[in-house]
Amino acid sequence: MPMQKSERIYRLNCFVENKPGVLARIVGLISGRGYNIQTLNVGPTEDGTVSRMKIDVLGTEKVVNQIILQLRNCVNVIEVTRRRR
Amino acid sequence: MSYSSRTGAQALVESLERAGVETLFGYPGGNVVDIFGFLRNSKMKFVLGRHEQGCVHMADGYARASGKPGVVLVTSGPGATNAITGLATANVDSVPLVLVSGQVPLSQIGTDAFQEADMTGICRAVTKHSFLLKSADEIPQAVAEAFYIATRGKPGAVVIDLPHDVQLQKTSAQYPERISLRAYHPDTAPKPRAVAELARLINSSNRPIFYAGGGVISSGAADDLRALSSKADIPIVTTLMGLGVIEKTSTHALGMAGMYGTEAANIALAEADLIIALGTRFSDRMTTTLKTKGKIVHVDCDPSSIEKNVSVNLGIVADIKDLITTVSSRIKPNSHTSWMKRISQLKRSSKNKVRKFKTSKIHPGAVVEAVAEAASDDAIIVTDVGQHQMFAARYYPTPKPRRFLSPGGMGTMGFAIPAAIGAALSMPNEKVVALIGDGGAQMTFNELKVASDEKLPITFIVFNNSSLGMIERMGEDSFVGNFSNPDFVMMAKALGLKAKRVSLVEELKSAVTNAVKSSHPSLLEVIVDADAKI
Ligand SMILES: Cc1ncc(C[n+]2csc(CCOP(=O)(O)OP(=O)(O)O)c2C)c(N)n1
Repeated sequence: MPMQKSERIYRLNCFVENKPGVLARIVGLISGRGYNIQTLNVGPTEDGTVSRMKIDVLGTEKVVNQIILQLRNCVNVIEVTRRRR
Repeated sequence: MSYSSRTGAQALVESLERAGVETLFGYPGGNVVDIFGFLRNSKMKFVLGRHEQGCVHMADGYARASGKPGVVLVTSGPGATNAITGLATANVDSVPLVLVSGQVPLSQIGTDAFQEADMTGICRAVTKHSFLLKSADEIPQAVAEAFYIATRGKPGAVVIDLPHDVQLQKTSAQYPERISLRAYHPDTAPKPRAVAELARLINSSNRPIFYAGGGVISSGAADDLRALSSKADIPIVTTLMGLGVIEKTSTHALGMAGMYGTEAANIALAEADLIIALGTRFSDRMTTTLKTKGKIVHVDCDPSSIEKNVSVNLGIVADIKDLITTVSSRIKPNSHTSWMKRISQLKRSSKNKVRKFKTSKIHPGAVVEAVAEAASDDAIIVTDVGQHQMFAARYYPTPKPRRFLSPGGMGTMGFAIPAAIGAALSMPNEKVVALIGDGGAQMTFNELKVASDEKLPITFIVFNNSSLGMIERMGEDSFVGNFSNPDFVMMAKALGLKAKRVSLVEELKSAVTNAVKSSHPSLLEVIVDADAKI
C-alpha cells in the first residue's frame, strides 16, 4: 500500500493479560480491518500475569484512534497508549 | 455441599443453571455426549434444533425478545463451524449470547483429529470474546465470566470451547459469587459535563430530532425516550434496529430512516438543526442517505462506535437509559410548533405513508398490514431478509420495543424461522409471527419441525414472489441461477404444521387473520405481486 499523506507510523503500547489467545486476538483485530502491522514486539513485565506489546501501525490519526478504541474494548487489554514515531 | 466428586460436564451444567439459564438450545455430538448426559435431569429446558445455525438463531430470537442471554450447546468440528453464521448475526446486532462448543481432547488439539476445528480461532472475528478451557477447575469461573461479558457494556456473543477430556476431569471449583475482570470495565455512567452539554444543545435547538437505534431498546430506554420526546416536543426517527421505540402512528414518530426508510424520516434528518443519535453505530444503510447541516450528538455505550462512521459535534459514551434519565430533568418542557408542523406536513406528503393497496395481485405491504390488524400490540414480529423484510419495516406499526426482530447488521437469510421459535419459547404468552421470503424460508425450513415438536403456536408467513426478490430487483437482469419454489404447504404439513396458501386479494385478510389467531404452529403461503417495489 502506498503511504498516503496523512498516514504516519504510530507506536501502540499495550498492556495485556498474559493469557493464551491474546496475541492472536490483538493481531487479528488490527489485520482483520485491513491494517498492516509494521513491527510487533511482545515481552514480559515485572508482573508475570501481564505482557507488554509494542505495535507499530501505519495509518491516519483517525484510523489509529479507532484501532485503539477497539483494542480497549478487547476483554484482555488492560491499557493502550499511543505515540507518533 | 461438597462438589468434589463431580465432573467438568456436570460442573458446566450446574454453572449454566447457576447463571440463570432456563432454556438451552443445541445439538449433540461425540465431544459433548457427557454434557448431554446431565441435561436429562437438569431444570433447564433443552431444545433440540435441526442444524446448529438454527440453534444459534433460536437463542438469538430468545434473547432479542426477552432481553435475557441466549444459550447454545454444540459439538466440536462441524457443530462449531455450523454455528458461526448465528454467532456473527447475534454479535453484530449486540445480542447477548453464550455458546458452549465441545472440542477434541487437549492431547489431540493441533493434530487434525476427527472433528477438530480451531473454534476460538475461527470465531474470533464474530464474537465479543472466547475461552478455550484447559482444566475443569476453570469451568464455573469461565461460565460466570462469559455471561458477564455477554451482557455488560455493548452486549455480544461469547464462546466457551470445552475439550472432551476437560469435561471428564473431576473438579470442586465453585461458581463465583461475584465477577470482577482485571481488564474489562466498560464505563457507561454518563459524565456530568456531557449531560450538561447535551441539555444545553437540546434546549437551544429549534429543530431537534432523536435518531434512535437498537441500543435504545437493549438498554430498556424506549419508554424514557418517548417521555422525553413528548415533554420537549422532539420527533423521533429510528434505524431498523430501533423499530419499536415508538409506534409509527404517534405524532412524534417518523418511522425508519435510511436506504429503505421513509422519505419523511430522511428529509426531517436533513432539515434538523440537531440530531441526537442514540445507541446506533451509523451503519452504511443509514449514512448513505444521511445529509444534514445540523449538529450531531452521538451517544453510545461503545466508545469505538463514536466517530467511526460519522463525524459528530459531541460524542458521549454512556448507557442510553442512564443518559436519558439523567438528562431529562435538565430539559425544559418545550413546544417546537413550526418544526412539528413541518414534521406532520412531511408525514402527510410522504410517498411512503401507509396507504391502501389496490392491485389485482397481493401487495407484500398489504400482507404486513393484514398482520398488523390481526395481531395485538404485544405480538412479536420476526423478519427474514429481503424485500419482505423492508416491506415489514415500512408498514408494520411497531408499537412496542422487543416486538420487531430483524437481523439488521448481518442481514442473514434463514434467521426468521429459528429466531421466531426462540422468541416463542422466551415469551410463551405472546403471539409470534414470522415474515419470511421464499428464498430465506428454504434456508432453514427444517427448523419448522421444532415448532411442531414443541407445539409452539407460531404463525409463519411465506411471501412467495417466486424470486430472490431483493437481489433480482437490483439490476435489470440480475442472474441468480435457477430459483424455484417447492410446495411450501405440503412441506409444512409434512413437518406437522397446519398450512394454507392464499393468492386472491379478497381472501388475504381472512387467511391472515385465521393464521394469526391459530393456536397451532401454522404456515401461510401468500402468493404476492413480484413486481411490487419497495
Ligand atoms: C445467508 C444469505 N445469503 C445471501 C444473501 C443475499 N441476499 C439478500 S436478500 C436476498 C434475496 C432474498 O430472497 P427471498 O428470501 O425470496 O426474499 P425477497 O427479497 O424475495 O422478499 C439475497 C439472496 C443474504 N442476505 N443472506
